[in-house]
Amino acid sequence: MMDWLLPLTGIVLLLNLILGMLRVYRGPTAADRMLAALLFGSTTVAVLLVFAEWMDVPALRDVALLFVMLAAIISVAFVGLPESDEGNP
Amino acid sequence: MIALTIDAIIAIGIVWLALQTVRGANVFSAIIMFIVFGLIMSLAWARLHAPDLALAEAAIGAGITGALLLVTWRRVHVLEGRTPQVGMAARSLWLTLPTALAAALLIASLGWVALTLPAEPATAGELAWQRLPEMGVSNPVTGVLLGFRAYDTLLEMAVLLAAWLGARVVASELRPGALPGPAHEEVPLVGALLSLVVPISLLVAVYLLQAGGSAPGGAFQGGAVLAAGGVLLCLTGRLESADQTSLIERIVLILGLAVFSSVGLMMLPLGEPMLAMPGVWAIYLIETALLLSIALTLVLLFAAAPGLRRSS
Repeated sequence: MMDWLLPLTGIVLLLNLILGMLRVYRGPTAADRMLAALLFGSTTVAVLLVFAEWMDVPALRDVALLFVMLAAIISVAFVGLPESDEGNP
Repeated sequence: MIALTIDAIIAIGIVWLALQTVRGANVFSAIIMFIVFGLIMSLAWARLHAPDLALAEAAIGAGITGALLLVTWRRVHVLEGRTPQVGMAARSLWLTLPTALAAALLIASLGWVALTLPAEPATAGELAWQRLPEMGVSNPVTGVLLGFRAYDTLLEMAVLLAAWLGARVVASELRPGALPGPAHEEVPLVGALLSLVVPISLLVAVYLLQAGGSAPGGAFQGGAVLAAGGVLLCLTGRLESADQTSLIERIVLILGLAVFSSVGLMMLPLGEPMLAMPGVWAIYLIETALLLSIALTLVLLFAAAPGLRRSS
């Protein structure tokens, strides 16, 4: 049963990513895009953890660890951005 | 079938994100697209059973490149006093399309040649794989980097040092103005964040270095993670640029190159070839030195500064 459950979880998570991409694409404000990108980071971590179990590559958990740890940096870099940002497309 | 679906989603996602990065509506969304592109790219490396590359992508892409692009965007914003709104795609469409087509053609022909090439019976990879146990490390990537193509790795460190020297020369002419400090000091969460992330980045860097012997990891990934901690300290204003490179910084900058070369020369009098590794301890010693040099070089490049000091 686990044979198809894990990859199916992966697909559902990837579909989540695609829906999130819409938010990145449409914006409209910079904060929307940034938050969607951070959401992407969390979903990518989930996908990596699923892959690690499914493909039996434990090192992928280290990759997930790095993403969790480093997600903060982009948000800090973003917070420093000026107020009147980006201009709507 | 399910695996194929996953791969298809990732592949289509990569191409679409690359397209959006190149012809984003404005610079900021192109940067975000690029950050997301890095995330999906690491998933692709994961699917290709290349966790080493996924690690490097995560460490460099999530930790440094994204922050570098965002900070650069901010600098342009501050320097020009307005939102940079270059309509990239509109302005250079006549250039983008032929370039993209030529690049696609190049990739396609390279891929076609690679696919039609007959498999070589005895490649260096096979030989390296057979002799790997003699190295004392079980991770083939580390073995190849330090054992079978150590000269390459040594020169890569020289390139990194040269890149920093080049940036140092240019930076003294084109010193980017100090950014108006974001009001991080008053935010109580920043201190808590730093006290969590910075020690963990040190811990994870050392873990990756140690893991490099038997599992994906090593000096480059570890150095990038350590550098990410330093980048965070720069971003929150805990470290600021100094006018001079201090003695300790100079030593750490050349440490990787110095330790690598001296260990490499050490075996010469004993009749061994240059860069022959005297043992596993030498591999870990070199990796540690490389990690420190890589981390400091990356942070200094990020800060575009000759040196760093604690902000008073």
